[in-house]
Amino acid sequence: MADRACIEAGGLTVRRGSHVLLDQVSFSLGGNQVVALLGPNGAGKSTLLKTLAGLLPFWGELQFDGRAASQFDRKERARLVAYVPQHSALDAALPVRDVVAHGRFAYRDVWGRPDRHDNAAIDRAMGLTDTRRLADRSFNRLSYGERRLVLLARALATEARVLLLDEPTAALDVTHALGLLHLLRDLASRGALVMVALHQLNEAAQASDRALLLAGGRLVAAGPAAEVISAEPVRQVYGVEIVPAAQFGYRLPAEKDTAP
Amino acid sequence: MKIVLTYVALLVLLVGAVALALLVGHGSLADPTLRSILLGLRATRVGAALLAGAALATGGAVVQGVFRDPLVSPSILGTTAGASLGGQLAMLALVSGSPLSSLAVSREMMLPLGCLLGAGLSLAIVLTFCRERTGTLTLILTGFILSSLFLALSSFITSLAQDSWDMSRAVVSFTLGGVGGVSTRQLLAALPLLGIGMFACWLWSDNLDLLLSGEDEASSLGVEVGRARRWAVTWVAVLAAAAIAVGGNVGFVGLIVPHTLRPLVGVRHRRLIPACALLGGAFLVACDVIARVFPSRSELPLGVITGIIGAPVFLVLLARSQREVSHG
Repeated sequence: MADRACIEAGGLTVRRGSHVLLDQVSFSLGGNQVVALLGPNGAGKSTLLKTLAGLLPFWGELQFDGRAASQFDRKERARLVAYVPQHSALDAALPVRDVVAHGRFAYRDVWGRPDRHDNAAIDRAMGLTDTRRLADRSFNRLSYGERRLVLLARALATEARVLLLDEPTAALDVTHALGLLHLLRDLASRGALVMVALHQLNEAAQASDRALLLAGGRLVAAGPAAEVISAEPVRQVYGVEIVPAAQFGYRLPAEKDTAP
Repeated sequence: MKIVLTYVALLVLLVGAVALALLVGHGSLADPTLRSILLGLRATRVGAALLAGAALATGGAVVQGVFRDPLVSPSILGTTAGASLGGQLAMLALVSGSPLSSLAVSREMMLPLGCLLGAGLSLAIVLTFCRERTGTLTLILTGFILSSLFLALSSFITSLAQDSWDMSRAVVSFTLGGVGGVSTRQLLAALPLLGIGMFACWLWSDNLDLLLSGEDEASSLGVEVGRARRWAVTWVAVLAAAAIAVGGNVGFVGLIVPHTLRPLVGVRHRRLIPACALLGGAFLVACDVIARVFPSRSELPLGVITGIIGAPVFLVLLARSQREVSHG
């Protein structure tokens, strides 16, 4: 993950029928950072992530590392951009390790046999997400939170330099949520561009370097997280006031200040 | 270990079914003059039942993966009815005097070809109407409507065939399913379809595994979803055509065999597909033995036996799936 990842979007517009889901969204993002994608329900966060992952048709310009998104074939793009959806459709009785191994699909030939590098990437991803203990369990028997971790491991196994995560902390307990945010920062420090849709503004303020604030499919504010998650934009978009000092907070203990 | 044991058990089952099918039936093997003839006839039947069972079970596993629904099969989706109609049309076309009978396609190839076109047409219609998020009910209803349409057309063809006694008998026998009248040349003509279809499905196993995550996730992981679905459906059509060409209209094999095997070998298609081929083949060979030895005035049609076994099993599966939905 040494190279700097880069996304450039110009006038990104997504429509479903006559309904505009994303309206002329433009931004430029480099690697080595966590970017929080913020906005109320229906703002277009998931739509933007899906568009970047190549799952929705769009109008406008989109480039990865200076190359137009349309020039990447499906496997090439999967090696560059990993996506973790808000709700997974997977409900099969697959062993967890096999699910994580799906992250290596884009590297495999027609015979589909994993090589040493594939196995190393799978082991690393499972280690980072604390899912080794689940390796032999059936995916459809896991709790919702455990499933989220396994899907994150699958995305990490792709070794993609751009990580797109849709509300990854939803349904996670505080330990795993904090561990996950810590892990995202760690991945960013190793060169990745991590874009993460979040609902909790305090999580976003703690974990992200930059933020994109969406409302009604439009980009309302973009910039350093401290500037975007501030009184005026938050009041304008969410209609709430920021309380500067929380009554209580929590953090991982010093000896546990690593990934979960 | 469990998987290895399952494969060993399946092989034993298959060998047992084949041995039984060769030894049991009308006529005595003790008569040296009849022995080689009887064994030759029975071997062709066994080969046809093996081929049809393996093809239908594999097709079932693949189509369940593509639609992410364990309650679909080539027969539930109308594919076998489509292949059957195609086969009947091919038989009709072969009747002397038909313009198609002069085509440069051998008689043995006309039947598999007709089945292939019929199966392909029905699956293309299902794919057009049922996209990823289509519920089981819609899928089953679409399959039911297609099956009804194809059965109505089949009945029309049967009525047309009544002018000729031989033709009428052949069409009815083909519609009810059975491997009794299969010739070695017919078997050899369908064999490449089975080989190609099964190998292709096995090669596409990883794509099928990823499709279990749904179109979006599979696509984000590098699967060309549209291409994968189209090819998978093509191979299912090829398999259904091979099966119907030698076994006539045999239902439910593709539904119950993959279901039986998933708890034993898992849901990964690379392991599931070969296991389905073994059990599907063994199952249909065993059904054919029942068809031969069942005390009745004439031999029971194979499709009747698989229907009697398959329909209650399907209802149990449907009830279990409804229970799982209602219990969250």
